[in-house]
Amino acid sequence: MSVARRAFIQMSVGATVGILFTPTVWTLLDDVSIWTQNWPWIPTLKYGEVKGVPTVSKMCESGCAVKVRTVAGEAFGTEGNMDNPLSGGGICPLCANGVQVKNSPNRIAAPMLNGEEITWEKAEEVLVDKLAAAGSNVAVISGDQTGTVNELLSAVLTGKQSDKFYTMPCDMQVSDRAWTGLMGGSGQIGYDMENADVVLLAGADAFESWGPTVANMKAFANNEGGKFIFAGPMQTKTASVTSKWVPVPAEGMAAFTLGICYYVLQAGKSVPASDFDQFKAMVMAGYTPAKVEAATGVKADQMAEVAKQLLSASNPVVVPAGSVAANAAGIALNLLLGGGMKVLPEFAAAVDGAMTRSEMLKGDILQGVDAEMVIIYEANPTYALPEQVKAGFTVAIDSVNTETTAAADLVLPSLHSYERYDDLASPYGVASAIYTMGAPVSKPASGAKDARDLFLAPAGLDSESFAEVIEAKVEAIGADMDELVEGAAYVLEETPDMSGVTLAASALGKAAVPVKGTGAVGLAPYTVLSVGTANQATTPNAPATISNNQLVGDNMVVMMASVTAKKLGVSVGSKVKLSGGNGECEALVQVFEGVLPGVVAAPLGMGHTVGDEFSKGKGDNVYKILTVSSEAAAGASTWAGSTVNVAKI
Amino acid sequence: MQMKEFKVKWGMVIDVDKCTGCGACMVGCQVENNIAPMTKKDPYNYVQALTWDRDDASNKLKTLTWLYVYELSNGKSFPEHETAYLPRPCMQCGNPACVPVCPVVATEKNEEGGIVSQVTPRCIGCRYCMAACPYHARYFNWWDPIWPEGMDKGLSPSTAVRPRGVVEKCSFCHSRYLDAKDQARQDGNDPMDLPDGAYNTACADICPTKAITFGDLNNPEHKVHELAKGKNAYRLIEKLGLDPQVYYTSEREWVRKLGDNYNADGGAHGAPSNSHG
Repeated sequence: MSVARRAFIQMSVGATVGILFTPTVWTLLDDVSIWTQNWPWIPTLKYGEVKGVPTVSKMCESGCAVKVRTVAGEAFGTEGNMDNPLSGGGICPLCANGVQVKNSPNRIAAPMLNGEEITWEKAEEVLVDKLAAAGSNVAVISGDQTGTVNELLSAVLTGKQSDKFYTMPCDMQVSDRAWTGLMGGSGQIGYDMENADVVLLAGADAFESWGPTVANMKAFANNEGGKFIFAGPMQTKTASVTSKWVPVPAEGMAAFTLGICYYVLQAGKSVPASDFDQFKAMVMAGYTPAKVEAATGVKADQMAEVAKQLLSASNPVVVPAGSVAANAAGIALNLLLGGGMKVLPEFAAAVDGAMTRSEMLKGDILQGVDAEMVIIYEANPTYALPEQVKAGFTVAIDSVNTETTAAADLVLPSLHSYERYDDLASPYGVASAIYTMGAPVSKPASGAKDARDLFLAPAGLDSESFAEVIEAKVEAIGADMDELVEGAAYVLEETPDMSGVTLAASALGKAAVPVKGTGAVGLAPYTVLSVGTANQATTPNAPATISNNQLVGDNMVVMMASVTAKKLGVSVGSKVKLSGGNGECEALVQVFEGVLPGVVAAPLGMGHTVGDEFSKGKGDNVYKILTVSSEAAAGASTWAGSTVNVAKI
Repeated sequence: MQMKEFKVKWGMVIDVDKCTGCGACMVGCQVENNIAPMTKKDPYNYVQALTWDRDDASNKLKTLTWLYVYELSNGKSFPEHETAYLPRPCMQCGNPACVPVCPVVATEKNEEGGIVSQVTPRCIGCRYCMAACPYHARYFNWWDPIWPEGMDKGLSPSTAVRPRGVVEKCSFCHSRYLDAKDQARQDGNDPMDLPDGAYNTACADICPTKAITFGDLNNPEHKVHELAKGKNAYRLIEKLGLDPQVYYTSEREWVRKLGDNYNADGGAHGAPSNSHG
């Protein structure tokens, strides 16, 4: 059949008119436009009573005293705890995201053996078998600095006649090595910044990453008339609010501090230590301002000015950080000045056979750990110390997937801070011995159990749950459980015996000499809490707060002064390769005039290869390029003095 | 233009000399106001292979930061260099530039308290208000909010979740204002005369250095009343005459000068005007 032209036109016109009048087409178009614009998923909010439940959060290094906000019993947010001296209402950016991390799909749901899910019964069986097989060759690496869980884990070691307890490298450890190791002290050093009239932060990035950050910030806020001075290789966030920044290279911090001691000794200050004369002779001969200036590049008149301010203050305090030598020099300077440095007693132990905190800090993880079995508690050594840990069998306990849990043989999921009993005993740096406890706020995620319970029997305890250990701790220290659960802190007013303390004159003389690596430029690694720490990667909402001085796209950013950039032949946005230690990092260059010339500042905590999308593949891992060097005179290892070579790519 | 006066005028005084730029306020703000973490993948996008990834938080042009902390520099070379951090919420201007340009009255300055509203169900996403706001305080939802699996159960009851295609901004945690007024009514007090601290924003609450002080600028019993009149108090780009309800204070002169960049060349743009409008 042929279709004539006229018939074709008639049919076309007819079809067009027909389509115009049928509603089908328009309805379909309308539907398509509506349905493609609709939300695939409509979030609904939960309504009900809103409460703030006090507990502790362990996401940052020192831990935060928080209140978890709940609506109809479901946790949704975190705020500070006004009644707790560790918080005073504030919290850090990591703990502020605690609930989101608790609900994260990155949580580990079930125990795993070599990557396969297993039951809790099977996990316990494997753990007991492996512990028995390992004999005394067992080690513990703990990422928790303040919890009673360390007593439990160290008691397991004691029962096995092992002393291989390690913490991740931390300021508390360095301070302890200086104080109990070199100077013969006991207890823990603390710094009262709130009541000091002059505070010298000698390398301590106190308002961002050093010590009890939030308590430090609270002290800063409450200290109306006090003058804060920051010394360090870069203008950290701390330096943005101090009244002065004294640029001092990291490896020169001990010498700089002794340079200030010179002026303080010259002013006639003394201290009844057995080696005072030796200390004085050592400083007056070896650390004259001219010599310190030659060794560190810090001008003598700058040291004189800082010393003058400290001497004219009625309650000065020096807060040291970095190497063991820098800590010893800082403590010695505090003893000379007689200001706001405090010595805190340790709380009574709850677990028989537990190590003291100082004993726990003795192991030097930077020297390497080699054991038949290594138990890693909420730490991420595979990320931060990739070369140091060797084990026949690794047990990793963590609530979220990390490099360490991915590499471990047996993974035990732990509860999130908000789901468990946990405690904070004197985070390093606080001015008085302070104990805070938290009870669970939320129900455990499905499948989650308290992994700490598995270690009760191996530690020789007949308790049924870790909560009982916490109860025993509260009783041992003489605090009131009900008050602690309500969020109050228990403070122990006591001063340990200070007799027999020395100024570590013989060790310091040698240990304070700046030792630098062989790379072209100095490396100033720095921590920004919202980027993450050695154990805690950045959190879901934190990336929006990370500035383009740390991260641009997926590239890490390193900062340097314009003179350094010129010397290296790089400019803003140049892609560079940093090589140091046994590794390499890639980064983009940013010019920031708040970095000491000859130094490149790089943010720690990026470059994760395991974890959620907020941290994985973001930036590069600066821990790879840190150089471990031996502080021979202080008998310790340090990352201070790391240098790198920078090549444009 | 005539300015609307209010009996109660909520405002902030931010002490730049206390802000360390830690970012806790920004995280607290996102949690309080249900701002979703930025995720690249969309589990509801069934043709992912054919489409671009969503933006992640590294792209600051696409993030929703109702409160954003800027890093300031005095622009000098080492060793004279100094930095400061400046948190920037919505200024809740007395004479807002965003309100008159909105074609659908989705943003208004009408309620007692002087908070500039943002009615997202009414917003058509034209973004005129974003172009008008000199403080870059307004943000456009380029993407639907998506919480990774399981995280949506912990949503805040304070703020409704917004879809893509609308503009949003800081509301001074408006639901906390409603809660505080409800509480006052329950206690038999005057909701129009809240005591200092009865209503506080999430950022001010969480700040570890207490750099942010919040309160009624008109109420002499509130701390902000005096702080806003301090000798070092200033407002951002004050010369525009928008009369912001957010004040800053800094003892550092260079910080105060940066706050009025409009006048950076010494006022060569024309005679400074203090009139509103």
